[in-house]
Amino acid sequence: MSSLFAQSEPGKKSYSLPKDREVFKAFIPDQGKLRQSPLPLPETSELEIMRHLSHLAARNVGIDTTFIPLGSCTMKYNPRCNEQAARIKGFAQTHPLAKSSTVQGNLQLMFELEKKLCQISGMYAGTLQPNAGAQGEFVGVQMINAYHKQSKDHKRTVMLIPDNAHGTNPATAHMCGLTVVTIKSCPNGDLNMDDLKKHLNDNIAGLMLTNPNTLGLFSSNIVEVAQLVHKAGGLLYYDGANLNPLMEIVRPGDMGFDVMHMNLHKTFSTPHGGGGPGSGPVFCNKRLEPFLPVPRVEKRENCYELITDKPWSIGRIASFHGNFGVYLRAYLYIILHGFKGLRKVAERAVIHANYLKSSLSKYFKVPYPQFCMHEFVLQADRFIDQGVRAQDIAKRLLDYGMHAPTIYFPLIVKECMLIEPTETESKKTLDQFVEAISCIVQEIEKDPDFVKKAPYKTAVSRLDEVRAAKQPVFSYFDEAYQSL
Amino acid sequence: MIGVKNIDELFHAIPQNLLIKRPELDDGLSEYEGLKNMHALADKNRFSELDNYLGAGAYEHHVPAIVDAIIAKSEFLTSYTPYQPEISQGYLQCFFEFQSALVALTGLDVANASVYDGASACAEGLLMALRAQKNKKRVLISQALNPHYREVIHQYLLPQKIVIDDLSMTENEFKEVAAILIQLPNFYGEMEDVTSLIAAAKARDVLVIIANNPLSCALYQAPSELGADIAVGDLQPFGISMQFGGPYAGYIACKKSLVRQIPGRLIGQTVDDKGKIGYVLTLQAREQHIRREKATSNICTNQALVALAALVTLSYYGKKGLPALALTNFQRASYLKERLCQINGITPYSDKPHFNEFTLLFDRPVEPIVEALYAENIAAGVPVKKINGLIIAVTETKSQEQLDSYVSKMREIFS
Repeated sequence: MSSLFAQSEPGKKSYSLPKDREVFKAFIPDQGKLRQSPLPLPETSELEIMRHLSHLAARNVGIDTTFIPLGSCTMKYNPRCNEQAARIKGFAQTHPLAKSSTVQGNLQLMFELEKKLCQISGMYAGTLQPNAGAQGEFVGVQMINAYHKQSKDHKRTVMLIPDNAHGTNPATAHMCGLTVVTIKSCPNGDLNMDDLKKHLNDNIAGLMLTNPNTLGLFSSNIVEVAQLVHKAGGLLYYDGANLNPLMEIVRPGDMGFDVMHMNLHKTFSTPHGGGGPGSGPVFCNKRLEPFLPVPRVEKRENCYELITDKPWSIGRIASFHGNFGVYLRAYLYIILHGFKGLRKVAERAVIHANYLKSSLSKYFKVPYPQFCMHEFVLQADRFIDQGVRAQDIAKRLLDYGMHAPTIYFPLIVKECMLIEPTETESKKTLDQFVEAISCIVQEIEKDPDFVKKAPYKTAVSRLDEVRAAKQPVFSYFDEAYQSL
Repeated sequence: MIGVKNIDELFHAIPQNLLIKRPELDDGLSEYEGLKNMHALADKNRFSELDNYLGAGAYEHHVPAIVDAIIAKSEFLTSYTPYQPEISQGYLQCFFEFQSALVALTGLDVANASVYDGASACAEGLLMALRAQKNKKRVLISQALNPHYREVIHQYLLPQKIVIDDLSMTENEFKEVAAILIQLPNFYGEMEDVTSLIAAAKARDVLVIIANNPLSCALYQAPSELGADIAVGDLQPFGISMQFGGPYAGYIACKKSLVRQIPGRLIGQTVDDKGKIGYVLTLQAREQHIRREKATSNICTNQALVALAALVTLSYYGKKGLPALALTNFQRASYLKERLCQINGITPYSDKPHFNEFTLLFDRPVEPIVEALYAENIAAGVPVKKINGLIIAVTETKSQEQLDSYVSKMREIFS
């Protein structure tokens, strides 16, 4: 589609500004500092912007239009009352540096949300501040570093991370100045205890773990793992990306984890927005509590206050208080469900995943046949000899009006498809997905090349990613930019 | 079908002693009750009834109505990161146009598709400069940088054993320095003269990072005109309501030579196998899901929807409107500054030019003044204790009557 920049015509405008009074016009900015270069933003009518972006919206899919079984992404329905709540003027029009007494509602909400999330996680205290899961990981690992530093345990510079962990885990540990050591998985998908034991020594800062792991499997060894790591003087970080199936079933705090993040945009239904804003609150047990970022929200007699005076705190991670607009949505989601409802969410997520896994097992190999939690992996290498890969099946699914699952992750499974249906989908939708997979399998058997060239019904077909990287065009103003 | 008699069997892998008791109570509220609850909380906030002059990184601008209409569209609101480009062309093109708008605004070559906020943009901007400068492990940072941004920079850089020193506006010793970071306008609202500082840095192969309020460069010199290699900032002034500090979105723009060091999502134009133009996430080999611990950053989720709001706002104001908006902001701030400074006991923090924010000093403690004005329903500004000053921000949302009322209330305090 043509760019909005290309639609620009001199003299067209959408904007209006408050009336300019003579008294204001008298003020002239410093001429020596004025912008000299052109400002090539488009000039269009408001209708043109609206129509352009409406057409672009039609070339995009979301949960409202399409089943998105992306593993580890928890693409559940985003209730619209959340959006309504976030737009209430009393919340939306508050400045982050406002005096506490004028924003008691905000502070109360943050305080109560922290308490509710502590209860769900089995942790002692927390901070909502991190802007997304990866920043939550960063905060958690910084707290682990600060703990060891306070204990004068300076040689703990190694973070243990399983081979099936999310990519953010090793990237975070590295950003926190730690060396990453990868722990292998067993053939049954669980953490390899022998490999873990081999790496436990007084150099380890801790272990970062997702449970259920990225294969969708709950690690029964978790208590033993926690004991071993703690015995070696390390701390346990819980990657909360996969918390959805555990709510009101089992709590990371009870499993022995010391610190963790949650993804409010996954588990607590706040919209993904095409890749953000997210929110990655961090929770911890009593011994890590002093290291939480500031400001903290505390209740003093009859009012809530922002407290910065915490000598052991790792300090600030966001410009202000993090993504407050996301907290509102998560808070409403929790009070609408209640703890009983949250348990139902977890149970349904697990039932749906197991139903889909069992239904799909006749088409593709299920490398881990035990019951899964909220997601599971398929090994889509059945037609590899005909040259049909997981990628091709994923692309063909798009023609069936479905979003593809996560593919080629975790890296330890060949031609991996990681599928997470979530609790909000109906049995009918799950059956349609199975039907689509069944049709694609038949298509491959008949004509593998047909599937290898999919998709056919989308706005564009397969895109040349190599060209995008080799001859990069990053903006409308690049010389190599191509108009229609 | 699944082969279990009851739900508990599906949870068999969880050790029995860890399972929590099934909750008996609390089965949640109806939508009506829930929303009523939210309104009750919002009603405990008094702030939205006040005349607000707070800034320091978050500003009260009018949010064009079209912004909300666009970002509420299901296909944007409820979509995921565009890993499947064939069904994500809409958003990918939006990001591409967002990148283009930031290129237009900053005058630099490339912009990424957003980072978390202004603070993380500063930190990530410094980290990318450090990667580009390989063996230099020191950075110099303006002393007039927003202190919150400074704290976040420390948070990100200290684990990498980077030395962070103060930047002097006049004389620096650039030994081992990878980059300098200047804020324009700075925390106090001043447009400092940075020409000779930037020239000196460039002469020593030091990368120059400018952190700005991006609206200011519709009026004042763009980062490219000042000689910046990297520009960073918070897009909140572009159609994003204050909402108590977030979600906002940070931006990072840079010269083409630095593009492989840029963190986060980057969208590129390409063609499909029939030659049709399309857009994809590109240079993904920089990112955590491919490179793991060798990635340029751990960032995964960014602020996509907020970046879209900024794109809509930049399109709405456009080529003529954005400079007009910036000028309006400047003029209303100037009006208030001039009138407040006529009061005996109030002096400007400096005589340097400002944009839409300025700092005043007082002959008496600032805190009681702020308190007194709060009592008059005016959020007068952000107090800075160490200089006994007040940072005051004025945007297009303040009428002459409001500004005059601020001045007369202040006059009463000083009379």
